This record gives sequence, structure tokens and C-alpha cells, in this order.
Amino acid sequence: MVNIVELEGITKTFGHHVAVNQLSLAVPQGSIYGFIGPNGSGKTTTIRMIMRIHYPDPGSGPIRVLGREGYGAANDRIGYLPEERGLYKKMRVRDVLRFYAELKGRTDFKRAVDGWLDRMDLSDWANKKVETLSKGMSQKVQFISAVIAEPELIILDEPFSGLDPVNSDVLRREVLELRKRGATVIFSTHDMTVAERMCDFIFMIYKGKKVLDGTLASIQERYGHDTLRVKVEGNGFDPHGIAGVLSVNDFGQLQELRIGPDTDTQEVLEALMDRGRVTHFELATPSLHDIFVRIAGPEAWKASEVSPPVEAAHA
Amino acid sequence: MRKVFVVAAREYKAAVRTKAFLITLLAMPVLMGGSLVVQLAMKDRVDTNDKTVAIVDGTGQIFPGIAAAAEKRNREDIFQGNGQGGKQTKPRFLLEQVEPAADDPAQLRLALSDRVRSGEFLAFVVIGEEVIDAPAADDPAAVPERASVAYYSNSPTYDDFQIWIKEPMNQELRRLRLAKHNLDPQVVDQATKETTVANLGLVERDAAGHITVAQKINLEANIVVAMGMMMLMFMVIMVGAAPLMNSVMEEKMNRIAEVLLGSIPPVQLMLGKLIGVVGVSLTIGTLYLVGGFIAVVESGYGAFFPSHVVVWFMVYLVLAVVMFGSVFIAIGAAVSDLKESQNILTPVMIVVVSPMFVWFNVVREPNSTLSLVLSLFPTATPMLMTLRQTVPPGVPLWQPLVGIVLVLLTTAACVLAAGRIFRIGILMQGKSARVGEMVRWAVRG
Repeated sequence: MVNIVELEGITKTFGHHVAVNQLSLAVPQGSIYGFIGPNGSGKTTTIRMIMRIHYPDPGSGPIRVLGREGYGAANDRIGYLPEERGLYKKMRVRDVLRFYAELKGRTDFKRAVDGWLDRMDLSDWANKKVETLSKGMSQKVQFISAVIAEPELIILDEPFSGLDPVNSDVLRREVLELRKRGATVIFSTHDMTVAERMCDFIFMIYKGKKVLDGTLASIQERYGHDTLRVKVEGNGFDPHGIAGVLSVNDFGQLQELRIGPDTDTQEVLEALMDRGRVTHFELATPSLHDIFVRIAGPEAWKASEVSPPVEAAHA
Repeated sequence: MRKVFVVAAREYKAAVRTKAFLITLLAMPVLMGGSLVVQLAMKDRVDTNDKTVAIVDGTGQIFPGIAAAAEKRNREDIFQGNGQGGKQTKPRFLLEQVEPAADDPAQLRLALSDRVRSGEFLAFVVIGEEVIDAPAADDPAAVPERASVAYYSNSPTYDDFQIWIKEPMNQELRRLRLAKHNLDPQVVDQATKETTVANLGLVERDAAGHITVAQKINLEANIVVAMGMMMLMFMVIMVGAAPLMNSVMEEKMNRIAEVLLGSIPPVQLMLGKLIGVVGVSLTIGTLYLVGGFIAVVESGYGAFFPSHVVVWFMVYLVLAVVMFGSVFIAIGAAVSDLKESQNILTPVMIVVVSPMFVWFNVVREPNSTLSLVLSLFPTATPMLMTLRQTVPPGVPLWQPLVGIVLVLLTTAACVLAAGRIFRIGILMQGKSARVGEMVRWAVRG
């Protein structure tokens, strides 16, 4: 499989702060690659280095994009939606999109722009000024501006943040459609459910270091079946203090119990039955959300088997 | 380069299509000319209440002449147009003769001062008793009080009366002095009449071989036209190039910059903006020049339109806009809020405006060494060289050429430095760059 993006041993420091530390990454053609990680962990810096907006420190390995080194930001074959994004407020929606299409070297932009506006349910706003759009609408316009030129590689930094479920679905549909037509998609997100459902590969960066990289299944495999998802009826049900349960994630209606490697699930079930009426009991691999929290949450200090991020924290 | 022009086209449209552009386009000449018009209009809107002045005539002979002159003035010279038909635009001067007090002049001056303070008089004038006899001393301080004339008032900035009284008083004095020596005033007038010096251009041999008649020089028109060209250059820089700072700040603060940088390298983005703004400036410059040409021809001064410098003007205009525009771009990229931008902008504006401080010296002696040196200073060249070229007879060709080379070099340096600052600054959020940082970026790249 051809890799569209390849990073080898990339480091980037700002002053004394190491934003990205010895990072290697390979994004295969046609895949959807999800970047996750807490705020300030280096996602945007990594993306900006792929875009050649930032340059890696001297001594870093190569960054190959679309098979070539030194191919960068202004590449017409890459569509980029940065996290910090805005549009010219005084321009009309259609003019903005035509401007970006033209900037990306498209000559037949009129039809493409109207097609996109139609698909994204923005036709009525085509002649309105950008400043009249709602946040969700302008976000869709920004998305169109990034993909209007039918790029081969699409890099979206937090494309879903701030979108309502309807617009979120529209955007997801279009991203998948673009992939179907052969594009490779990299996007960063804080929404673990989106990452779980959409991404072929998930890459997590924490304090500048890569801590996860692979398919969802392979990541979950590393953690094994160590999670009990339970629902227990009964007033004042408290899942804490059960022998063999290392930690509790209480979602209100549902609780996730993390169990130790030697814990007997039967005993946990019995303990739960003592505390209330058990309506759901499932042994599962941890969710991406849970894995994220285990690596980057406050509990990470106590984690036993997942130590690399803790080391990274003190590095 | 295609991308550069896409950006340039957007920049041009964004600038020219706004209402603000139209308003500024119209407002600039109105503001510039307007202050002149307001001054002219306000000039006649003075207080027309009568001004009463007490005259203490120590000689006892001068007052009647001055009083007659004041009456004549009140009758004829204080109305709009000529004669009494028009609106009164100036105050009447009423004179009141006060007897001199030979025994205690100080007491009289105090009493009169009190009457001025109370508002009864605007001022009082004391004419010394020996003023007719006294020989004119060269040093006014050496003239004794008895032989001088003094004007006492409580309104030191109002000098209309003081200026007015000089002439009738001196006429009376001259008449009295001549009479004393038995001289015929008409003969003396004839003998002492001043003659004027005509201000002419040079003569040349025309195509037919005749020597031309020298043209009368209109000093004011020459200065006004030259200043007009310089002001026009200044206006276009302000209307055209200065908004670049806001345009870059908009891109930075509204987070448009990074989206753009996904499609175009920073240097090309900056060049696109500069080209767009050159287009805007040429549009403004052309509109004003055409407007100015029509205005000048319509008002019958067509001969003064400096057609020989139009091309130079346009060349300087483009260079000035690129030179200052790149600086404005760098500032816009380096700062993160309006307040910061004003701080950094101030010294830049002083540089832009500085030719205005010296233009009068340059226009009066366009070919002095000082003028040459000033006009070869790159940031001042566009405005001052235009000025010097507009004033006849112009300057030797090598001077504007050297000027252009120097401006070109400076412009190239500005664009290069601005490009470096722009590349780093445009993505910096939250804090503004210090001047030191900007210099470091510009130097190190």
C-alpha cells in the first residue's frame, strides 16, 4: 500500500517547549486517519508540519507528502481546513468559494461551487455575505473551501467541533464520499465516538509523543477485555468498593468498571447483584474514550500497564 | 504566479467595491480642499461689532487725519463687494479723542487701561508729542516715548486695528513732516515711488527662429500645482497602501491566514496583496489626476497642468505604494490587536509624512543641494522628487533616475524584510511581536 504521508523521527520545539518529539507516522492511501490527543499535545503542530506551515527541527527525518519531500502547504492536491479558520466576512459565500477554487487552480469552479452549495444545503445563502452566516453554516462553507478543488489528500483539523448533529452527519457523509472517490483523509477530533466510527486508523499523540497508532481493533487488543459495562437499577447504586474493580467510570445510566487481569467477573456480578437489580452486564474491550482517559486523564498516574505516557509526562 | 494574481484580484475588488473606498475617495480632496474653503468662508465671518479705540494725540495734529481715514473706511471698506450695498463683514472702527495729560501721563494711561478692561474701549493709542519732529531712529528701542506711538490693549492676538492705523497715521505724519520742511508732497511722492520687479520665465528661440517673449511667472500657481502633486501622492499612499495593514490584520485576527496558507505560499500571498493594492492606487491616482486635469482646464489654468511629470508620478506612485505597503503588511502581520498596531504605526507614519515638513524649502529652491539630498532619501523620493520635477524648470534627468534606483533598492529590501516578518507573524496568535523581534525575523529570515 502506498503511503500518502510519511513522517520519520520528526521533532519540533518552540523555544524550550518540545511540541512534537521523535514522531513517526505513515498514512496509507485511501484511508481515514484520526488524530486524537488532549489539547496542546501536538496534533495541530503535526498537521502544520505536514502542511509545511511549520518546519521540523534540524536533525529530524523527512516528511514525505504525496510521495515527495518538500511538497507543502500551497499544494493544489491537498485540501486543508485548519483548526483556527475564518472567512472574509464582507465577501459573498459564492465569491469566497470561487476565490478558493481559483486559488487552488480550478478553472471550472462555477459548477463545482454551486454543486457543493447545493449538497451542503447552502444554496439559499450563496449570495449572502459571510458575516450573516451562523457558526455551523460558515463551518460548512469553510469545509467546502478546503475540498472544492477535489484534493487527493484532505487534512481537517477539528472539522466537527461546534456542529449540531444534523450538520455533523452532513459533513461525515461528505468526508466518506470524498474517500470513496479516492481521497485520503486525515482529521483530528476530540469526539472519540466519531473517531471510533469513522477512522480506519487512529493515532494518538500525548505531550508530543506518539502513544497510540493503529486500527481501532489493534489498539483495543492491547488492552484486552478488561472492561465491564453494567446497568444496575436501584436507588443510590454505588459501584465503588467492589473487590477486583480498579476504577469506575460512571456515566449515570451506565457504568464502566475496569477490572484487574486476575479478577473473576462472576464475583463482580455477584457483588453488583447484592447492590441492586442488574439489567445489563457486558465484558468488553475498553472504548477509545476510556483508553484516551487512561492515557491522558488524571488516573494515568496510577495506571500500571500503560506506562509510556506517564514517562512522557516526566520526560 | 497565477495564485498571486488571484489574490491580487480579490484584494483589488475587496478594496474598490466597498462604500468606504468611495467615501474616502470623495472625502480626501474635500478634506484637503475643505479646510481651505472653510478658512476662506470663515475669514469673513468675524465679529462685526463696533470697535472703539481711544486716541491720545500728544501732537494735537494727527488725530483729524486718522479720524477721517476711519470714517472713510467705515463708509467704504467694511462691506462685502465694494461700497455699501453688500453685507457688513468687518467691524467699524470708532475713534474717540482723549486729551493728553501733560502733567501725569502715567495716571492717564492707568485710567484708559481701566476703561479698556471695563470694555468701553478695545484699546488706546498714545501718540507722543514729539513724534512729528523726531528724526527716525534706526533702533526703535532707542526712540524716546515722547517721540513714539504706542498701542495698548488687552487683546494681544487681535491686531486688525493696530495694522490698520499704521497707514493713515504715517500718511498724516509724512504730510505734516513734509509741510514742516516746506516740501511739496506730490514731488516727494514721485521721487520716492517704489517700482515693482516683474517675475518672468526665460526666453528661448522658437521653431521659427524668433526669440520668444518671456512668460509672466505665476508664483502661487507653480507652488500650488507642485504641492498638489505631492499631496496627491500622499493621499494615494494613505488611501491605497495604509489599509493593507488592516487587511492583513483581518486575515490574521479572523483566522483566514492559515486557510489561505494552505493554498498559497506566504510570499506569494504578500505579493498578491501588494499587486492588488498597486492596482487600487493606480485607480485612485488616475481618477484624481483626470479630475484634477479637468478642474484645472475648466478653471482656465490648463497651462499649469504638469503633464510632463505624469508618467514619473505614476512610476513613483507604484514604487511608493509597494515600499510603504510592504511595511504596512509587516506591521499587520506582526501585531495582534489594533492598539498595538497604532504604537508601531506612529514612527512609520512620521516617515511617510516627513516630506511634508520640508516641502516648502524644496519647492522654493528645487535645485539647491539640500533639496537634491532630501529628494534622494528613498522614503521621501516619491513625494519630493515629484515636487521638484513639477516646479519649472525641472531637474536633470539623472536625478529622478538615481532616485528611482534608490527607491527600487529600498523597496526590494522592504518587501524582503516584510515577507520574512509576514511569514512568521501571520500565524502568531495572542501576542504582538516586539519591534526587536520583528527586526530579528527580518534580518535572519
